[in-house]
Amino acid sequence: MIGFVLRRVGGSLVLLFLVLTVTFFVIHLAPGDPADLLVDPRTPEENRDRLRRLWGLDRPLGEQYVRWLSAVAQGDWGTSFNYQEPVIDELAGALPNTLVLALGATLVAFGLGIPLGIVAARRHNQTADHALRVGSLLVYSLPTFWLGLMAILLFSYLLPILPASHMHSVGSDSLSAGRRFLDLLYHLTLPALILGAPLGASITRFVRNSLLELFGQDFLQTARAKGLSEVRVVWVHGLRNALVPVVQILGLQLPALLNGALVVEVVFSWPGLGRVVFNSLQARDYPMIMAATAFTGFLVVAGTLLADLVHAVADPRVRDD
Amino acid sequence: MRRFQTASIPVVLTVFFLLAACAPGPQGTDGESQANDDTPHSGGTLVSAFAVDISGVNELIAPTTAVNDSVLFRIFLHLLEEQPDFTEHPPSFAPQLAHSYEWSEDHTVLTFHLREDVLWSDGAPVTAEDVRWTWQAQTHPEVAWEASYFKDNITDVEVVNPHTVRFHFHQVHPAQLLQANEGVILPKHAWSRKPFSEWRKSRNWFYENRVTNGPFEMESWKQDEEIVLTRNKSYFEEGVPYLDRAVFRIVPDQTSQISQLFSGDLDYITNVPPDDARIIRDNDELVLRDYWSIGFIFITWNNESPLFSDARVRRALTMAIDRQGIVDALWGEFARTTTSPIVDTVWAHNRDIQPWPYDPERAKHLLAEAGWTDTDGDGILDKGGRPFRFEILNHTGNRQREDATVIAQQQLREIGIEARPRLLDISAFHAAVLHGRYEAAVEGMTMATDLNLRYLFHSGQIGVSFNHARYRNPEVDRLIDRADRMKGLEEMAPYLMRIQEIIHEDQPLTFLWFSKRLNAHNRRVHGVQGNLLSQWFGLRYWWLAPPG
Repeated sequence: MIGFVLRRVGGSLVLLFLVLTVTFFVIHLAPGDPADLLVDPRTPEENRDRLRRLWGLDRPLGEQYVRWLSAVAQGDWGTSFNYQEPVIDELAGALPNTLVLALGATLVAFGLGIPLGIVAARRHNQTADHALRVGSLLVYSLPTFWLGLMAILLFSYLLPILPASHMHSVGSDSLSAGRRFLDLLYHLTLPALILGAPLGASITRFVRNSLLELFGQDFLQTARAKGLSEVRVVWVHGLRNALVPVVQILGLQLPALLNGALVVEVVFSWPGLGRVVFNSLQARDYPMIMAATAFTGFLVVAGTLLADLVHAVADPRVRDD
Repeated sequence: MRRFQTASIPVVLTVFFLLAACAPGPQGTDGESQANDDTPHSGGTLVSAFAVDISGVNELIAPTTAVNDSVLFRIFLHLLEEQPDFTEHPPSFAPQLAHSYEWSEDHTVLTFHLREDVLWSDGAPVTAEDVRWTWQAQTHPEVAWEASYFKDNITDVEVVNPHTVRFHFHQVHPAQLLQANEGVILPKHAWSRKPFSEWRKSRNWFYENRVTNGPFEMESWKQDEEIVLTRNKSYFEEGVPYLDRAVFRIVPDQTSQISQLFSGDLDYITNVPPDDARIIRDNDELVLRDYWSIGFIFITWNNESPLFSDARVRRALTMAIDRQGIVDALWGEFARTTTSPIVDTVWAHNRDIQPWPYDPERAKHLLAEAGWTDTDGDGILDKGGRPFRFEILNHTGNRQREDATVIAQQQLREIGIEARPRLLDISAFHAAVLHGRYEAAVEGMTMATDLNLRYLFHSGQIGVSFNHARYRNPEVDRLIDRADRMKGLEEMAPYLMRIQEIIHEDQPLTFLWFSKRLNAHNRRVHGVQGNLLSQWFGLRYWWLAPPG
């Protein structure tokens, strides 16, 4: 098992290094650079060149790469061109807000996905099952952007019960800690719902399909034959086995959740990592793009590793290979 | 993914507004009666939105964007406040940090007399030392201020006494006053502690050590979330600002901004798209504010390309494109065609110029004169074996320009010219047009109030600044050089008139349109003065109707 883990971690690190190297060269070789983005058309080339020197962009690309790599090896991800602050500080500042959103979305996804999946499986081929299958497909297929705007229309305008944007109300700084937390939950509801809904929809379908496969199997028949209640059969014996693929899905969906957060953060004006990355891409902020790529790459690798490990724990044939 | 999202926006908006029209509006305001009461009322919080965040509180290391200026010009003072009155004459200047100024006999020394009652937010007085040190920072290579070119003509800033400061100029120039006045005055006593060499990695330090002198102070800034300004109680103008607070929330999505204006979460929004402007105008709870911008949109022809080196060809291209049709289709009443980079709401616009008509037949005739005919019968004009086929660049993020390109493409096709639109990201786009690696491009520009045409048309600016057309005309160069030696903008007028005539004949660019800036607010907000200098102009005089 340890050998399996080491092999997978080693492979993942090599992959991450390759991704970062390719990204470095692709973004630097694309036509134009951050100094071209200065919006004042009258800014003379001389001023742009000053900035290029300041940012080290006047050096040969190979040298820039070696400098970047050696700095990163020492834990220095550089100074953001756009934010003019250390890259790590900017990312670390925005990350907690995104984690709050992602956590809320995960709770929504599991809180809705698992019970609905069970309902669909129990009502196999009945109206509820059909409705959930179509509904989950619809939610999964619709663009998050559109879902978000429709949610704002419904919950913030027609039935004005939830706020349409931001993490806090205007003037919330003067509230007590408890009320400020409630204010946060109030603002979190809509974005977490919209970000969590597609994941919840896929969980619904996975739980449903896994349970349906399990329902016919001998161990569940045995549990029923022992006289266990149907609730216990489904929730304890069935669900435990059905959740293995769901946890795998979560591992693979982790980066997708953060990518989805980018759209949700823009629609709901949520000040998180997605917004920082979005701004950095637009500004050709190379140090920021590299650090964000490393972070997302790490999540993909870690999520895949988690999924593999769960699979290996659940299925000994995998780790024996 | 992106394509799908873009395509869904109009549908979403239509559904939104159809439903919104059926729903009740924000409660508790009696718009009409309050709108008629003109007595300003003190207090309250104005909530508005920006699509992007500010880049910090130090103007010199922040890019020159409308958003940065919107906030920084409210918390820092200029020597003088430029006024938006340049429709009939060059802009005038109101006293701000300086109460008066005078010129030396030879017009190379400008003396400002500063108010003695202006304090920094930490209680220190604002003095001539601040003005001199600000100039040193503005021109320091390691600060690399984007607009440092404004100071190229200034040789020294001399402190005469704590409240008198003298600007020495290299030579007479029509925009000397603008050159001296560009940039807000910064706090020497607070910010000189940070060496210039560290400025470009110290954005947050300036925020944490912010010391300001404008009508508002910055209470807080939560990145990508909101900026809160509060009234500066020691501001020298009696009784203003009227607002207790101005909150700018960062709302990147335009549709979200509009929906929040409708729901009452926002009081004021800017840059409303024309389609939504009509819906806002028809809503009794909201007020649409529009004013003519001085920015204009045009097609740049690469004059060095064999396709566009002949002025007859460029005139033909202009005549082949139905500019009024484009304006009608994309903007309706919110835009007009223009014949010049100095648009007709600016004092120096040449009103004698008659626009080239939309006349495809005449265009074909001109092209034939220049040697472009369809010799091989494939429907595309050709000359010396080369078909009239080229790429027309756009940069991402501007739907109207992309739509205009498609319309122009169809119209050019009708006279036998094939233009293929190509979309680039803004950085790649800029690199291509600056270095002449393109054939045609759709661009936009806001003509600064100094009306300096050098950047657009002087051959010395090719590959350096905005002469992306790579246009060379010795007479235009000479006229620009001579205009630059005048004392004051007024004296430039004859040169500007003649240059506009030549540009009209040569058509290095095809001018498409200039449009209105569209802003909107609810009826709580009064005294709104947004204008073409700033959408937040005179925020200190804005006020909110009391509740109830």
